[in-house]
Amino acid sequence: MSIAPSLHRSRKFRNALMMGLSMGAAGIGLAWLALILGALVWKGGTGLALSVFTEMTPPPGDSGGLLNAIAGSVVMTAIAVVVGTPVGILAGTYMAEYGRFSKLTVLVRFINDILLSAPSIVVGLFIYEIMVRTMGHFSALAGAFALAILVVPVVVRTTEDMLNLVPNALREAGTAIGAPRWIVIRSVAYRAARSGIVTGILLAIARISGETAPLLFTALNNQFWSSDLNAPMASLPVTIYQFALSPYEEWQQLAWTGALLITLAVLALSIFARSLTGRREDK
Amino acid sequence: MTQMVSLDKIMPQTTAGKTKIEVKGLNFYYGESKALKNISLALPERSVTAFIGPSGCGKSTLLRVFNRIYELYPKQRADGEVLLDGENILGRGQDLNLLRTRIGMVFQKPTPFPMSIHENIAFGVRLYEKLSKSEMDGRVEQALRRAALWEEVKDKLDASGLSLSGGQQQRLCIARTVAVKPEVILLDEPASALDPLSTAKIEELIDELKSDYTIVIVTHNMQQAARVSSNTAFMYLGELIEFDRTEKIFTAPAEKRTQDYITGRFG
Repeated sequence: MSIAPSLHRSRKFRNALMMGLSMGAAGIGLAWLALILGALVWKGGTGLALSVFTEMTPPPGDSGGLLNAIAGSVVMTAIAVVVGTPVGILAGTYMAEYGRFSKLTVLVRFINDILLSAPSIVVGLFIYEIMVRTMGHFSALAGAFALAILVVPVVVRTTEDMLNLVPNALREAGTAIGAPRWIVIRSVAYRAARSGIVTGILLAIARISGETAPLLFTALNNQFWSSDLNAPMASLPVTIYQFALSPYEEWQQLAWTGALLITLAVLALSIFARSLTGRREDK
Repeated sequence: MTQMVSLDKIMPQTTAGKTKIEVKGLNFYYGESKALKNISLALPERSVTAFIGPSGCGKSTLLRVFNRIYELYPKQRADGEVLLDGENILGRGQDLNLLRTRIGMVFQKPTPFPMSIHENIAFGVRLYEKLSKSEMDGRVEQALRRAALWEEVKDKLDASGLSLSGGQQQRLCIARTVAVKPEVILLDEPASALDPLSTAKIEELIDELKSDYTIVIVTHNMQQAARVSSNTAFMYLGELIEFDRTEKIFTAPAEKRTQDYITGRFG
């Protein structure tokens, strides 16, 4: 076989061109990410001091920290996970196990996918209508429930997906030994899918810990320390939102620092979640 | 019985012993398609019966009727009768979980549970028996010895069942099945995913187990059927073509289709 040199050259040229274009596109995408992270570390890092974790949010023009906002975020996220995770896991279990062949599962999956991509501000407004207005005031509990609604679809989706990855042969084996269905699910399917389900929960936490919109009309904000779930509570995202828009330099600085903290926390969670799934694939 | 089936087709005459499982006029459906057509046969107690035939002939399907594992899937159904010690297990009142403790099953691919070796075996026992820790340890050891796996794993009972080799995993699955003391053991191509050495071990094991259990084995490997079984059923396209003593099937089959299959002319 003889090779036509002109064909070969033009193919090499096209290859180099496409390669250059795709590398350029990847580079542009990564560059923005690097710029954002760089700005965060640059601007937020300078304000990083012990006082951020020990002092309350200050009045305008004063110095202070983010303690109440950090605590509020942790409290509301924790409640949201405690409320949303069981609902999500049970629904995902129904879809992947009991209702695997039912039409209801198809319907639930469809609605869940809509919920998964619903704008979070809609969820905030929904909770505002059913909780804040009926109770007559903003509260940490309303904020936590708004976040819980965001947790559910993420956990439903990952639980269903991970249980579907468990080979049917394993369920048959459990059934063949005489185990009732709920024991097969609990002791065999959950165990096989455990790290994947935990990863889903971690990803849900990562998602809600940066949410501002659902908290704006629910938990509102609080300048001071509050452990009352029935009263407005501060949170990092809302504090960042408020402080970043303010004309005061101390507030702006704290907003940058808060943004850096959230980013680091989400990054840590994602890395942890990755390491869990990675370990499963090793087996 | 509406349909007359010659007696020697139902039960090989020369095999002594009582019937453990008797199948009468069994049909099986995957949705609309019929996978088993009017199967009737009787499996003698404490012996090995092999089901052979080309892929898709229904031999695994027939095996999966015996413990009603097919009921995990809503579109699969069976009609007819399967009598275990004279009692129809396809009847409505049948407790499926209890039935499955009486009829154990080992699958083609090893399926250790995602837990320790000890737990893999204790899992099934614990479902229906309350044992002290020492009794359970004894039971686990007994089952592992029975499956010729004890010597290889006795120092690492807490290791994951998944850490064993394929052949060891399959013997673990046999140990797990034996541990709940079933009466019948169904083997669905138990050695087809294993290397020749592991296969030989599994076959040895089947030979030892047949004195205590009624064993039914589905296999693609005709030499294996000839080596381990006393009776062999040849199936083709959802029908039972011939059922007789293994040596008769392999040396002087009555049916031409059986002859063609065992000599490798099709399938």
